[in-house]
Amino acid sequence: MLSIENLHASIQDDQKTKAILRGINLIVKPGEVHAIMGPNGSGKSTLANVLAGRDGYDITEGNVHFEGVDLLAITPEERAALGLFLAFQYPVEIPGVNNMYFLKAALNGLRKHRHLEPLDAMDFLKTIRSKIKEVGLDETFLNRAVNEGFSGGEKKRNEILQMLMLEPKLAILDETDSGLDIDALQMVAKGVNSLRNAERSIILVTHYQRLLDYIVPDVVHVMANGQIIKSGDKSLALELEAKGYGWIEGSSS
Amino acid sequence: MNAALETPHWLNESFIHSRDFFDQCPEVRDFQKKQRDLFLARGLPTKREELWKYTDLRFLSNRTFVKPSITMDVVQTIQAKHIQNSASVRLVFVNGLFSEKLSDVSLLPEDVICCDLKTAFKNHAEKIKKFIFENVDTNRFPFATLNAALMTDGIFLYIPKHTTMNVPIHILFANTEKNILTASRNIIVADENAQATILEEHCELGGRDYFTNVVTDIYAQPNSRIYYHKIQKESLDATHIAEIFVNQKHDSLVETYSLALGAQLGREDVWVNLNEHHTESSINGFYYLSENNQHIDNHAQVNHIAPLGTSKMVYKGVLEKKSRAVFNGKIYVYTNAQKTVSRQANYNLMLSPDAEVDTKPEFEIYADDVKCSHGDTVGQLDAEALFFLRSRGIEKKIALQMLTRAFAADVLNSIKNPAILAHMNHLLNEMFSDD
Ligand SMILES: Nc1ncnc2c1ncn2[C@@H]1O[C@H](COP(=O)(O)OP(=O)(O)OP(=O)(O)O)[C@@H](O)[C@H]1O
Ligand SMILES: [Mg+2]
Repeated sequence: MLSIENLHASIQDDQKTKAILRGINLIVKPGEVHAIMGPNGSGKSTLANVLAGRDGYDITEGNVHFEGVDLLAITPEERAALGLFLAFQYPVEIPGVNNMYFLKAALNGLRKHRHLEPLDAMDFLKTIRSKIKEVGLDETFLNRAVNEGFSGGEKKRNEILQMLMLEPKLAILDETDSGLDIDALQMVAKGVNSLRNAERSIILVTHYQRLLDYIVPDVVHVMANGQIIKSGDKSLALELEAKGYGWIEGSSS
Repeated sequence: MNAALETPHWLNESFIHSRDFFDQCPEVRDFQKKQRDLFLARGLPTKREELWKYTDLRFLSNRTFVKPSITMDVVQTIQAKHIQNSASVRLVFVNGLFSEKLSDVSLLPEDVICCDLKTAFKNHAEKIKKFIFENVDTNRFPFATLNAALMTDGIFLYIPKHTTMNVPIHILFANTEKNILTASRNIIVADENAQATILEEHCELGGRDYFTNVVTDIYAQPNSRIYYHKIQKESLDATHIAEIFVNQKHDSLVETYSLALGAQLGREDVWVNLNEHHTESSINGFYYLSENNQHIDNHAQVNHIAPLGTSKMVYKGVLEKKSRAVFNGKIYVYTNAQKTVSRQANYNLMLSPDAEVDTKPEFEIYADDVKCSHGDTVGQLDAEALFFLRSRGIEKKIALQMLTRAFAADVLNSIKNPAILAHMNHLLNEMFSDD
């Protein structure tokens, strides 16, 4: 599904080159759920953004393959068409772009890439109505501009709605659980679990073990300083919750 | 400086003489002669003048122009330019000259006058003379004077008292020739408690390197409502210079929407006089500059002369490549115009680092009880939003289109006539169809 080999990425900041990812190695197999934890600023969102194809990073070393394709060589929309989805840590507000219209454009954009006919308007409406219920938003959100004036939690629900509509093969959820109330957290978990199957993989970036009670990961990674410094099973998350990051960070350097 | 530069050499006796469009009306001929003298005494504006600071017209002096005529059969091609999915009254001008064959006025109510100027002089002489021989300030509006001197044709629209015309009136100017100079003059009058919706559209049907010089006068009598829309999608090597004069009586409403998508050089002046109390004015513009060296200059001024007027002036633009936009908006509030409420804004979206905007929103206020606000921004496209859309599988081209349309939306979306809105959106969307 996804294989990342020795990925290095840096940014230009004030004329200086700053290395952010410093040799990431990660393999995610079909059907697996991986959790990535790690202190603030360790590079988790950067990794997610590089995978999704955001501009502004220099990839100085390494390779990424997704479904056998050289991921770094293709555009963000082509990555989406291959089945990659990133739920953003900070979803952007887009005034003037209607949420429903956007979802339709996204879905039909993907279908076009896959040489499928655009979805019939009635079918689309039916699907979206049922999915928006699943994420606990009412239908008025469809007629608003994308994320404009949405509360933090509503933005996250909207990300999940997009995920449910687009049915990706690999979903990366960047702190989708942050800032959510308990109900919303369970809703996110339900949404993710409903997508879970033998072909679909999920990467959860999170700071909290709590989410992992609902979505049980196969592997937990700890990222620090642009590297994955430890990987383990779900008990690693519990250990982190109890002891913090200090003990591994100390032991690795 | 060199005065010869400022006097276009083509504006000579024989050129004027050749433009015998109103030969049957000696009154018009005399008027035109007087206007030509006024223009020659003034000369072409130069960059030394504040109002023309950014817009260089020197190329105009050295041009040669030919007399327009209807040469081509455009019966087929003109159809694509019609307003779709809506009935309309249509007056079509080819190279500035009225084409009865291409026009359709069958839906015109009996008491409404809507015709070309020659017909107006023939059938409604008294009425039109009240409006057409107006003297403008040549120094401020040289191209209105030039337009009068060279007048080709145009429309006379008169909506009588208490008449509401819901069917839009489409005045379509199609250009098929090279190097022509058309000087169209439109007069729009809504009498007391009347209402009209108008779309004035300038487009190219094969025409190149031509010069459109158009003047539109709008008169809103008490309690009337005029919804005026203009599309400028001239050939990308053409020159388009337009003056729009709006005069409002008490309790009238005039909304104008200008969409500028074409021309190498486009200049439009909107001049609004709110002459009596309780008037409402909404002046809107959207421009999309898509080519290197394209230059669009908008000057708009609303004069609050009487109390209790409300005005809104919003111009927005998108600039690609090495293009340049100029905006100068002014709200002038006279001493007497108490309780004026006014807002103006100019927003520009730069899609290229080589594009340039010169924006100058101004207020000149002599009354003390007024509410005025303004805003102007020059921004880049939101890279975050663009990435977000693409990451959801939306092609870059479509994503750019969505964001640009969103940017245009609050200007165009207040257009009340859905067919005209769709017509404008369609043209705007075409801007994204290449590359
Ligand atoms: N465009 C940028 N300009 C400057 N610094 C950047 C940029 N992008 C990322 N960084 C820096 O790179 C580091 C990693 O950031 P990143 O957002 O990937 O961290 P994170 O692990 O997601 O943190 P958090 O848990 O707080 O979300 C941080 O120090 C951040 O400031
Ligand atoms: Mg982060």
